[in-house]
Amino acid sequence: MPGEDVRVSVTRSDPDAPAEFTVPRIRPMMVLDALLAIQRTHDPAIGFRFSCRVGMCGTCTVRVDGRSVLACQTEIDEDTEHIRVDPLAGLPVLRDLVVDTAPFWRAWAAVTPYLVPGEDQEVGMDAEPAVIPPDSAERETIDPSLDCIGCAACFSSCGIASARRDFLGPAALNRAMVLVADSRDAAGAHRMDVVGAGSGVDRCHYIYGCTAACPKGLDPARAIRRLRRGRFGGKD
Amino acid sequence: MGRTEFWPEPDVLDTDVAVVGSGGAGLMCVLHALTARPDLDVTVVSKGAVGRSGCTRMVQGGFNAVLDPADSVERHFRDTLDGGKFLNDQALAWTLVHDAPRVINELETRVGCFFDRGPDGRIHQKAFAGQSFDRTVHRGDLTGIEIMGRLRDQMFRLGPRELEDVRALDLLHDEHGQLAGLTALNVRTGRPLVLRARVVVVATGGSATMYRVAAPAREKTGDGVAMCWRAGLPLRDMEMLQFHPTGLLAGNARMTGAVLEEGLRGAGAHLYNAAGERYMARYDPERMERSTRDVVARAGYLEIAAGRGTEEGGVLIDISHLGVAEVERRFPGMVARTRQIGQDLARGPVRVSPTAHFHMGGVLIDVDCRTELDGLLVAGEDSGGTHGANRLGGNGVAESTVFGARAGDTAALLAPERELRDPAADEVAASLGRAYGPLARTEGPWPFDLTTRLKELMWRSVGVVRDAAGLAEADKELDALAEDVQRVAVPGPPEVNYAWQEALDLANQVIVARTIAHAAAWRTETRGAHARADCPDTEAAPRYLVQRRGADGPYGGITSEVRAVEFSRLAPEDQP
Repeated sequence: MPGEDVRVSVTRSDPDAPAEFTVPRIRPMMVLDALLAIQRTHDPAIGFRFSCRVGMCGTCTVRVDGRSVLACQTEIDEDTEHIRVDPLAGLPVLRDLVVDTAPFWRAWAAVTPYLVPGEDQEVGMDAEPAVIPPDSAERETIDPSLDCIGCAACFSSCGIASARRDFLGPAALNRAMVLVADSRDAAGAHRMDVVGAGSGVDRCHYIYGCTAACPKGLDPARAIRRLRRGRFGGKD
Repeated sequence: MGRTEFWPEPDVLDTDVAVVGSGGAGLMCVLHALTARPDLDVTVVSKGAVGRSGCTRMVQGGFNAVLDPADSVERHFRDTLDGGKFLNDQALAWTLVHDAPRVINELETRVGCFFDRGPDGRIHQKAFAGQSFDRTVHRGDLTGIEIMGRLRDQMFRLGPRELEDVRALDLLHDEHGQLAGLTALNVRTGRPLVLRARVVVVATGGSATMYRVAAPAREKTGDGVAMCWRAGLPLRDMEMLQFHPTGLLAGNARMTGAVLEEGLRGAGAHLYNAAGERYMARYDPERMERSTRDVVARAGYLEIAAGRGTEEGGVLIDISHLGVAEVERRFPGMVARTRQIGQDLARGPVRVSPTAHFHMGGVLIDVDCRTELDGLLVAGEDSGGTHGANRLGGNGVAESTVFGARAGDTAALLAPERELRDPAADEVAASLGRAYGPLARTEGPWPFDLTTRLKELMWRSVGVVRDAAGLAEADKELDALAEDVQRVAVPGPPEVNYAWQEALDLANQVIVARTIAHAAAWRTETRGAHARADCPDTEAAPRYLVQRRGADGPYGGITSEVRAVEFSRLAPEDQP
């Protein structure tokens, strides 16, 4: 018979702050619910971030028993009596479970993450959207790689990126792949230079931590493989 | 002479345009301001993560825009007024439908969004409730991620100053009563900030989180409306709070209230009560589940109130008759959301309840987002009038982006004309005194129980169906809550202290709640989202209440005037 309580260990910034808590089990119960219970009944000052609580904003990412996950989407199941919650790896801690995601976004910004329309393309409120069939080769490449929510679970799970080695990391490279494949974009050559340079795809060791961690089911490792092939002019 | 204040000396920052909020309205505003005038200094003030807080991010179903030659903006306009029960400001509603297709063009060609295509390679549009044409543009069933993800990417191109985790506190005037900027609080450091700005754009989103069952992101605590209220600006339609008919029920988990999207009903989902009846036959036999949100939400509420709900206090939505594969293909996000809580939309009925979702009411604006205070612009859910008494699904993200874009255009015109002004010192002190109070006090309640009290009260007495007695009780209770809110004390450090932040959220929520209850007591009819059990009829000529704070402070008296809606483009009896 599983207990009606859940024990939660939380890494705190202040070594004197309480770090072990017991909260009542509710059903269903996500890790976010446990953190809220701690805040509401034990320690109002505990620091953790969340916004949408339905896996769309990507701001509540933490490590639960070592795995980088969204707190709002990670269930504490009936068999679990204890969890340990740590801040993400590879990002500076602001306080408790709240991290500064700036390094993640610096890497993201480095790949020119926005659409760069061609010189002859009209843009703006009077420009016509491109006609691109959904079964075209480019969409079949891109569509499964969209919906990144920038949660940094992949960054934290990547042994290279989270060790703060010089690596753009899985999410930024996935974004680069999406834009390189997009026929509306004209900056592909520049982006291939960036991802082919020292901090780019060659840093990846194919450990697949990123793909295993992605809460949206994306496959950044595949995007990295695709970029590598693209650099050598290969097709797939 | 030493300082006697109990807050640190504020940092001071000057900017041309301060944009409060980083959702669809805020970031579209930045895009337009910097496209029109790349030399402007634009500052985004966001109490959460930039581009990743608020509700545009959470948009599921999509964006209404007339793209098909067989459709027309006149039809979209008519649908919007029919949905809004003709309470809409028709100039704003017309602007919405007129600009929506142009914003889709811009989102695709400049911002880099890619919405789902039909087999011919053109943008696909799906069916949404309450509309005479399939005109909802979408990216799967999680459209907001694409829009906000790409808008956030644009910020790396445009380079506005991003004040992330910085909460705007109050609008500031100079000593002549002209807009001078705003006070803010850095949530990370706990330090105060005075922002002098030529133009301020308020785009923080609504306040529906003040209900027990509620859909929005945590940031949506009426901050923008409350700031404008304290600054003396007029509000309209505050009683018009939309309940979405299908919010998930997940017990006490935070997930409760999250929306299952409108497109399910558009695609043919059925609603059942606990007795297995398709109860919409009693409320709107013609349109059934595809009736507008106000009607469907009220029907669900009345079924539950009549004892025909499930044990958990809900009704059931069922789309499994389309087949597992089809439901999984068309609604992957919604299926995942239900499986997360041990149910399965693809295989059977799911328990749902009406959930507080969107505030139609807000600050009075014109079609260029101007308010009566020169230099102050308001865009998106913080404004009132566009949707009238009920918003159509798919018109929300359209409003945010259409009016966000317009606010950016207006800001680019206004900023060069307006000087930087010095904020009145007493306003700065009053604002920071309010903000730092909870941290400075050692005795007083934590905010959490007060938040719960507010949510229960609003759900019970100012909820889906209201009456005079309940509203009178709410009025008294809210006054008591307002007192308690001013005594809140939070322990802990000033840095990254979300209990403190909740105390500040709560103060804003109570201000907005009082205006909702006050306006709801005034409207002695049933119209759109506002249903009165004691006044079930709808008056022939729609009128609206314009409210303003009295001279005795933001929690004091409310002054108001009644205005008749002007049918400047279309009257209800006009033929489509």
